[in-house]
Amino acid sequence: MSATAAIPVRERAGAARRDPRALVLIGVTVATILLVGLVDHGFMSLQNLRFMVLNCVVLSLLALGQTLVIATRGIDLSVAPVLGLSAMVTGLMAQTGGLPLLGAFGLALAIGVILGTLNGLLVAKLAIPPIITTLGTYSLYSGLIFLYSDGTQVTSVPAAYAALGNGTVLGIVPIPVLVLGAVLAAIWFVIGHSRFGRAILAIGNNQAASYNAGIPVTATQVGAYAVCGVLAALAGLMFVSYTGSATVTTGTGDHMELQSIAVALIGGTAISGGRGPVIGSVLGALFLSVVLTALVFVHVPPIWYSAGEGLMILIAVTAGSRRTA
Amino acid sequence: MPESVAHEAGSGVYRARGITKNYGPVAVLRGIDVTLEPGCVHTMMGENGAGKSTLFKVMAGLVRPNGGTLAIDGDAVSFAAPHEAHARGIYLVPQEPALMPELTVAETMFVGQLPTTTGLVKRIDWRAMRSRARAALDTLSLDIDVGALSRSLSIAQQQQIECAKALLRGCRVILFDEPTSPLTTHEVEHLFATMRHLRDEGYTLAFISHRMDEVLEISDHVSVLRDGMLVDSVARPQFDRTRLLSRMVGREMRTIPRRSWSCATDQPALVVKGLAHGSRFADVGFTLHRGEILGLAGLVGAGRTEIAETIFGLRARDSGSVTLAGEDISTLQTHAIIERGLVYAPEDRARHGAVLPMTIAQNVTSGLISRVRSRLGLMDHADEDRIGAETVRRYRVRCAGTDQTLRELSGGNQQKVVFGKWMGLSPSVAILDEPTRGVDVGAKDEIYALIEELAREGMAILVISSEMEELVRLCDRILSVYEGRIVAELSGEAITPERVGRSYLGHAEAQDGVEVAA
Amino acid sequence: MNDVAPALRNEVTARRGRTRRLPLGNWERALLALLLLLTAGLIAGVPGFYPGFAGFLALTENFLPFGFVALGLTTVILTGGIDLSVGAIAGLAAIVMASLWSGLHVSIWLSALIGLLAGGLLGLVNGLIITRLRTEPLIATLATSFIYGSVGVAIAGDNPPSGFPDAFNRVGTGAIGWLPVQIVLFAILAVLFSLLIGRSTFGRRVVMIGYNTDAARYSGVRVRQVLTLSYVISGTMAALAGIVLAAYYSAVRPDMGDLLLLSTITTVVLGGVSIFGGEGSIVGVVIAVLLLGMLRQGMLIAGFSDMVTTMLTGAILLGAIAVKNLFAGRGTGLSTLLGRFRRSGTAPAE
Repeated sequence: MSATAAIPVRERAGAARRDPRALVLIGVTVATILLVGLVDHGFMSLQNLRFMVLNCVVLSLLALGQTLVIATRGIDLSVAPVLGLSAMVTGLMAQTGGLPLLGAFGLALAIGVILGTLNGLLVAKLAIPPIITTLGTYSLYSGLIFLYSDGTQVTSVPAAYAALGNGTVLGIVPIPVLVLGAVLAAIWFVIGHSRFGRAILAIGNNQAASYNAGIPVTATQVGAYAVCGVLAALAGLMFVSYTGSATVTTGTGDHMELQSIAVALIGGTAISGGRGPVIGSVLGALFLSVVLTALVFVHVPPIWYSAGEGLMILIAVTAGSRRTA
Repeated sequence: MPESVAHEAGSGVYRARGITKNYGPVAVLRGIDVTLEPGCVHTMMGENGAGKSTLFKVMAGLVRPNGGTLAIDGDAVSFAAPHEAHARGIYLVPQEPALMPELTVAETMFVGQLPTTTGLVKRIDWRAMRSRARAALDTLSLDIDVGALSRSLSIAQQQQIECAKALLRGCRVILFDEPTSPLTTHEVEHLFATMRHLRDEGYTLAFISHRMDEVLEISDHVSVLRDGMLVDSVARPQFDRTRLLSRMVGREMRTIPRRSWSCATDQPALVVKGLAHGSRFADVGFTLHRGEILGLAGLVGAGRTEIAETIFGLRARDSGSVTLAGEDISTLQTHAIIERGLVYAPEDRARHGAVLPMTIAQNVTSGLISRVRSRLGLMDHADEDRIGAETVRRYRVRCAGTDQTLRELSGGNQQKVVFGKWMGLSPSVAILDEPTRGVDVGAKDEIYALIEELAREGMAILVISSEMEELVRLCDRILSVYEGRIVAELSGEAITPERVGRSYLGHAEAQDGVEVAA
Repeated sequence: MNDVAPALRNEVTARRGRTRRLPLGNWERALLALLLLLTAGLIAGVPGFYPGFAGFLALTENFLPFGFVALGLTTVILTGGIDLSVGAIAGLAAIVMASLWSGLHVSIWLSALIGLLAGGLLGLVNGLIITRLRTEPLIATLATSFIYGSVGVAIAGDNPPSGFPDAFNRVGTGAIGWLPVQIVLFAILAVLFSLLIGRSTFGRRVVMIGYNTDAARYSGVRVRQVLTLSYVISGTMAALAGIVLAAYYSAVRPDMGDLLLLSTITTVVLGGVSIFGGEGSIVGVVIAVLLLGMLRQGMLIAGFSDMVTTMLTGAILLGAIAVKNLFAGRGTGLSTLLGRFRRSGTAPAE
């Protein structure tokens, strides 16, 4: 005991402060691009690079929200139906009612806030474990999609939406990437430099101590789920704008909730809470997108993609635990 | 000194009047009056369960009292949560500080009160936070990097951080809940230096301990609690070791009664040779005989529990052998060791010793589930009840029935169940780690009687205890452990509190060059 | 066992206090009442729900595969773990069976047995990842569910086999007299699991680990072994569900297990099993299987869509846990109060 006390903590600080995960992810992503690019130059084409980035936008948004919730020691399975509901509502209203884009943003925001807050209240006020809460609301929200769509589906969206989903600024930077960039910057600021964000991390580290220190635990938890809901709803809007379609199984069909957890884990989120590597989460989604596209280029049948994802989770998590152990 | 301290107006006289606290029918505090004065270290003494911790928790807003009033500098106060107490200048340093493992030291110190920049967008002012944290640590002359992650801190450092947190929050009244028990002698000295420094600055300090030497060394005023009542309160000039001790236990305790008989034999039951593991302990060797009660004395953290857990197959070892009745058991797994007749009752009952949500009967059989009669692979619950009932009778567990969960029992009765769980297997060797922790005074004597009875039946017993009286009363022989090594052996008439204490503390003095007050 | 002199008090307390020999706790009783009410309501209110006794029993064939998964999953959740790979295992096991049968012309029964073993093996992999690599069960089984899913799709190919022999299909749709084979199978397994969890030493160890893993280890329980075995059980039961589904449809699809996962977790939790481990019983889970299954079938027959039922299921889950928490008074002082009240109120009467 006295031996550990005697060691000045100073020396270990540098290594501990900077999580190498982000650098590793950038490194392997670039390495993958270069390696596969050598085999097939098409992989490094601007078009393909843009495709890979575009492809990870929706999942990145989900993973960002998921990261915040997991940082509080929670989990949100309901992101998939929230995404689906938002895509369905905004898409249908745009398709049939000509909802302006700004209105769609407002609507997505409202859907996200309401559904996310409900999750948060159930977790924080009724003390239902997060996994059960969001399992229940997963069913509830999935049902809402069904009730709202009433058998119809989104098959096309107005031009403004298509521009949001596929357009570029100055012909180079895709608009979805700008949206993601803005959201990432906002969330990065919140988690890294706002009291709310630091409260999220504190709760994830030690809920009782946070309460004792005067942190509004309930409000912070509800807030985290609400933000997660908003991001999922925004992801829904981006999805319907990008693909121009939404069905009853959008989001839930591809198990987007599990995907978002997977990406967060690859990005360095600890399931035990208290860490919020938001940049890592986006890098995780990008890495996943790059690897999956790379598999196409090296002619691996698509059926193996999810196996690759599973392996990545295992590697990411066991590598993480080795380091901290 | 951080600037936040300067604006604090009051002098810091903290008065508690008639504090009562019940948990259901159990009265933990029965009307305590106590006044903490600035520039003073006020120590609360008392046995486990006397109510010291609860009193501090009430005073710091962690627990709401059922009755009584609190007043700081004459203003009546009441707290719904600890942070409200902080705002009134009262801070409790818990025994095991609440850690934020993934956050930096500086942020842990400011948690809940992170400084923000002024301006349109309020963002965390990391620079101000770090420099203020650094300043607070400097005030206490602590060499801890504020940028390090909290999980890299030792318990002593965590306590020091808590102390600094109190300063940062401008608290003038700082309560220490039994801070010294997890610390080494050296760390205790450092803590005391800090406390003296704060006292001289005019802070109001209160402190819980039941180590007499420490108490006499640091305190300006001592109050003694027993069974939730204040039974004595004396200022430094009137300090009297014997008087305080007898007040604590409620009887004259001039000499500790040693038992007059011994049933130790010379047949070895457990032989440990050259046991070592990393930096935790090394070269541990001893022989435990049938019918013998052998004590392991030493400070908390000296490695005694680790030694026991290694013998019991719960921890890896680097080298050494453990022989039980002639058979080498050092490579066996725990379940196999239990089957061969060695059992270990761990010190932390709630975490390791028992499954609190399970019933008495289920806990009793949990050490060797196969002892319950089975037919066709199905456990006979009636037989399990019978075993449970037998244990309840034999060890006089006070309960409503064998299907009561352990959570509903008092600490002493829980401990008796844990005893019954292991002793029901009729082991040849039992290791008892802090057998009376969290047990009230009356039940303690019962447990001592049980241990002695088992020894008389020929069981070899290893007792690990941090309570000197316990060791002196029970043991035929005592080994002193200091920093993972056995440094002394005492037996027979040589076993007196002074000599046992000196046997490991003397070692500490020699190593650390620290003076231990008499 | 009535009035006894105080001196003998401890002799008295050495007996069981409360009479809890009945297999039903409060939660199970409430679920059972709900099940009976619901069934009665559906029979009375939904035309076509009760087409005669045999037809009524045959309704269960639609949902009992969920029950098989739930039994295995209960074992895992009781240890405080979770198995997200049950759906993928169900699909993969069924495909293994079907491919052996159609590709290698192995007898369908032997193929089914190998499918079951494959499920156990996949569960073993889960267990080993969790205990040896010390990975959170949630993460480990999330990862393996992706992997198993891929393998299933890969083996299935573009045209997964179908059209199994009638004798085999009877497992899914056949009946012994008026008693559907699935019910017989489920009843046998429910009893076995009830004994396994409630009466075997393995079950006791599972519960100990669920309540307090450290205390279990300090009591000599081989924690890793027990945990691994519980995932093997979960995998085997998921495989059984996949095989029964294959028999029911006389076809296999790699994603046929997808629906199983979230519904079975819901079922297990509604059945009173704590997601934190330790607490819960097979009886509760069995009742919850019937309750949710009957609800789903009744709603379908009444003309509601599957999604509406799903929604209702979610609401019931949340409502039930909320009510449970309120009674347990989590977060308030209510629980201790109620607990004390109950304890002093109940006299030992055995």
